[in-house]
Amino acid sequence: MKLTFTIAWRNILRHKGKSLVIGAILFTGAFLMTLGNGVVSGMAEGVRNNIINGFMGDIVLISDKQQSENILLNMTGTSIEPITSYKTIKRVLAGQPSVRRFLPAGKNLAMLLNDSSATPAFIYLLGADFAEYRKMFPDNFRVIEGSYPVSGARALLIPAAARDEMYDYGNIWYLPEGGSPVRKNLKKEALARIGELTVSSSVVMMGMTSGANTTTDVRFGVKGIISYRSLNKIFGHFCLVDIESYRECLGYFTSGDNSAEVPPEEKKLLGLDGSGLDALFGAGDLLVSAGAAHAVKQRTAAAVKKAPEDAENGAYNVVFIKLNDGVRYADAIAGLDRALKEAGAGVRAVPWNKASGPIGGMAVIIKGALFLFTALLFCVAVIIIVNTLTMAALERSSEIGMMRAVGARKSFISGMFLGETALLSAVFGGAGVLAGILAVEAIPLLKITTDNDMLQLLYGGDMFRPLLNSGDIALTVFQLVVVTVIASLYPMRVARSITPLDAISRD
Amino acid sequence: MNIIEIKDLKKEYPLGSTIVPALRGVDLEVGEGDFMSIIGPSGSGKTTLLNVIGCIDFATSGSVKVGGREITALSDRQITDIRLNNIGFIFQTFNLIPVLDVLENIEFPLLLMKRSGSEARRRAEKLAEEVGLKEYAAHRPAELSGGQRQRVAIARALVTNPGIVLADEPTANLDSVTGASILELMREMNELEKTTFIFSTHDANVLKYARRVVKIKDGLLEKEPAAA
Repeated sequence: MKLTFTIAWRNILRHKGKSLVIGAILFTGAFLMTLGNGVVSGMAEGVRNNIINGFMGDIVLISDKQQSENILLNMTGTSIEPITSYKTIKRVLAGQPSVRRFLPAGKNLAMLLNDSSATPAFIYLLGADFAEYRKMFPDNFRVIEGSYPVSGARALLIPAAARDEMYDYGNIWYLPEGGSPVRKNLKKEALARIGELTVSSSVVMMGMTSGANTTTDVRFGVKGIISYRSLNKIFGHFCLVDIESYRECLGYFTSGDNSAEVPPEEKKLLGLDGSGLDALFGAGDLLVSAGAAHAVKQRTAAAVKKAPEDAENGAYNVVFIKLNDGVRYADAIAGLDRALKEAGAGVRAVPWNKASGPIGGMAVIIKGALFLFTALLFCVAVIIIVNTLTMAALERSSEIGMMRAVGARKSFISGMFLGETALLSAVFGGAGVLAGILAVEAIPLLKITTDNDMLQLLYGGDMFRPLLNSGDIALTVFQLVVVTVIASLYPMRVARSITPLDAISRD
Repeated sequence: MNIIEIKDLKKEYPLGSTIVPALRGVDLEVGEGDFMSIIGPSGSGKTTLLNVIGCIDFATSGSVKVGGREITALSDRQITDIRLNNIGFIFQTFNLIPVLDVLENIEFPLLLMKRSGSEARRRAEKLAEEVGLKEYAAHRPAELSGGQRQRVAIARALVTNPGIVLADEPTANLDSVTGASILELMREMNELEKTTFIFSTHDANVLKYARRVVKIKDGLLEKEPAAA
């Protein structure tokens, strides 16, 4: 073995030009693979942390009737089915050892109404109790104008990114109640027209549902303007609103409706099966506002204090769940589904990466693309290495033939060529891996940030923060080993076919 | 006792649709410790004969025994082992491994035999001294003259204590003085190590070094004169 590697190493040094060509390819491949893995892992980890900790938790409960599990950014306009059994769900979740915290919420699309524009604009509404939301997702956004509403208040928080889009749509600059334009937060076009800027502290929105149910126009008082700490562009499509206003907007039962209007028999029926509700009760029974779809029942943003118990009587769309550390998703989901089914809750558990749709799967897609790119790069590397080593074998026929003549077996010759490629891979590929690791470590120090939607996805947040784990490094090393073996096969075959006679006939 | 026994050895090479006979029925016996020269003009078949004896090439027909073992029907691995253990080679163009120094080249066959590094090194140093290259032990082939390289090749051929050393025109690429010194050295080693030497040449001047001369022409050996 020592002899094989001695000859292999000295041959590498002897043929420096060829060795450098092969080495450069191996270095580049290993470097790109390591860095790429770091970027993808960083993105996956960033998206994971930001979505889990900042937006939807580890697991989301959705209605059994909900077909698509993607409930974050569903662009098809399909509404999310309501959940009417939260009290049952709450009881089940409270008994689950894997569950650390949970939050019921409403989530659906709403149409922004504006007399001055014929083109409708849309925004996502996230309805929840403000205090509970803060406990579930502490510090996931900061209020840059106005203030955070108290628990039970009727209020709307608009993300800065959404406000910019709303301005583009209706030329109205939304401000929190009692607020005035803050120059540094103004969109460039709005700043240019600051003297004649139309401002408003209320928004009229109509909930969007895909069924025949009629929804209601609701006027929301703007309490604050917020900025999400991570993935602000993506999460910035979501306005946070109190759950009761949300329900009114979407035409769901509010807690007030439940306690005041719906008898226990009907509540029981709702809990059993909601699919035929319209047929059973007629649209008017389900809706807060019966009658024409566009009948405006504008409600002011007067603060209404309700006990949490009352609020839980109404409809939600999702329940966000955070798990305790170390709990396996598969186990947790299986346990939850079993318990919820036994309780007849009519919901199922979906992991965050499925619930977040293409965003959660983006890491897998980019990783696949990167793997394909690297595979192509390594294919080119293999071809060049095969060609170079085969030429080397033929050029060294006399030397190899002599080795065979003095008693070297074919396996020794194979080992010599494999050794050369292995050493090149170890030295240059190893250097490539190390350089990749260093790059991954160094990039976060540069504090590269972005406001671009796509780049935020790629970064897994606002800052470019690649991350490597031992699995990524092992994958790169494995690929190098495969390249080494594949690249050595044909040259080894050529070298093995050289006979001792070649040592003489080529003299 | 004969170390080599050849009976009716024929070797033919296909050349397109033509068959070229290189050896046309050679009978030869070589005794242990011989210092024998095969002499003949270019194309007479002397290199082919050496190649077949050295298990580098294969007979078309006939029998070749090396050390009492028939070699015409052995596998590649068995043939390789015979070359490693029983035969030493000296090539016309030296054929040293360019990336190894003198001692490493000499000990190379021993390391193929899985001998320990220290044992191989001791044996290589002894032979380097015997061929007069002790001072050049750390030199690479490219740093040596033609004569010095051939000395390394001789030491390498002898390092495994083979029964036979085959040398195909070992002086062809050397000047006459160096060539003479190489033949002297081979003869010394023959006497010192008791190894059988068979070398080919087309130079009549080298005949004075051989104890036995076999002439070959057109693939056939000429009858040797009766021993005096």
